[in-house]
Amino acid sequence: MHALIIDDSRAMRSILRRIVTDLGYDTTEAEHGQAALDHLEAGLVPDLCLIDWNMPVMDGYQFVQRVRDDPRWRDVTLMMVTTESEHGQIVRALAAGAHEYVIKPFTPDAIVDKLELLGLLVAEVPA
Amino acid sequence: MMLEGPSFTDLHAVVDEVWTTFLGPEDPLLPALPDTGPGEGVTWSAATSVSGAWNGVVTVEIPDLVAQTATERMLGVAPGEALSTEDVADAVGELVNMIGGNVKSLMPGPSALSLPLVARGTIASPSDLTEVSHLDLTWAGSPLRVSVLARRDAPVHTLDQRESA
Repeated sequence: MHALIIDDSRAMRSILRRIVTDLGYDTTEAEHGQAALDHLEAGLVPDLCLIDWNMPVMDGYQFVQRVRDDPRWRDVTLMMVTTESEHGQIVRALAAGAHEYVIKPFTPDAIVDKLELLGLLVAEVPA
Repeated sequence: MMLEGPSFTDLHAVVDEVWTTFLGPEDPLLPALPDTGPGEGVTWSAATSVSGAWNGVVTVEIPDLVAQTATERMLGVAPGEALSTEDVADAVGELVNMIGGNVKSLMPGPSALSLPLVARGTIASPSDLTEVSHLDLTWAGSPLRVSVLARRDAPVHTLDQRESA
C-alpha cells in the first residue's frame, strides 16, 4: 500500500509519515497539490492521498477536483487532513470527491479509525 | 461597539489541544510564571489571518528553546539534533496554522485562513488590529503567548447583534 502525503509543512508530513509507515504504508511526499499531481502524472498510483487544504501553488480542494476529473485516478482514496473545520468546507470537499475528512489537530487513532472505515488498514495497529 | 473574539476558555482549549496532541502530554501547558513579561525571551513569532465574516489575526510568540523543542517533537528527531532555520520556521508556522484554523471555527463564518507568516523576532501588528484575547502560558519552563486580534475597520458582528440574532 502506498500513501501520498500532501502538505506544505514538512513537520506535518513527518507526523503523517510516521503514522502511516507504522501501519505498513510506503510513502511519497508533496509540498502542494501541483507537486502531488506531478507525481501522479509521472506514474505514481497511490492507494491513499492525505491532503492538506491550505497550501501554496495548488490547494487541497483544487487537487481533489483535478484527481476526480481524471479517470486514471478514480480508485485513489482521498482523505483531507486540514485545519479547515467549517461545515461548508467539509461539505465542499466531500462533494468534490474526498472520501474522508480529518481536522487538525488529530491523534494517530483518528487516522487509524478513518483508514479502518475505508478498508485501508493493512497492518496491525502498533500498541 | 465591542470587537468579537474567542473566549479565554475556548482559546485555551484550542491551544491546549494543539500542544498536547503534537508535542506530547508529558509537558502540560501551565499558567505563565510570575515576573515573566509577555514579550520576554520571544525569538519566534508566527501569524495567520482570517478574512471573511470575521476578520482578524492569530499570533503565537515563543522563545527559541520552545521552537526548537516543538520542532524536534513534530519531526520526530532526537533532542539536541541540529535543526535548520527552515525546519523551525515550518514547525512554528504549522502550530499557528492549527491554532488559527481552530480559532476561525469559533468565529462567525464563512471565512478563509491565510498561509502562516513566521519570523525570528516579533511581527509588528497592523494599526487596524485590536487585541481581543490572549493567553500567557508556560510550557516546559518557558513562556509562550497566543494572541487574537480583530480588525477594527472591517464589518464586525457585535456581541449584542449576535445575541439578538
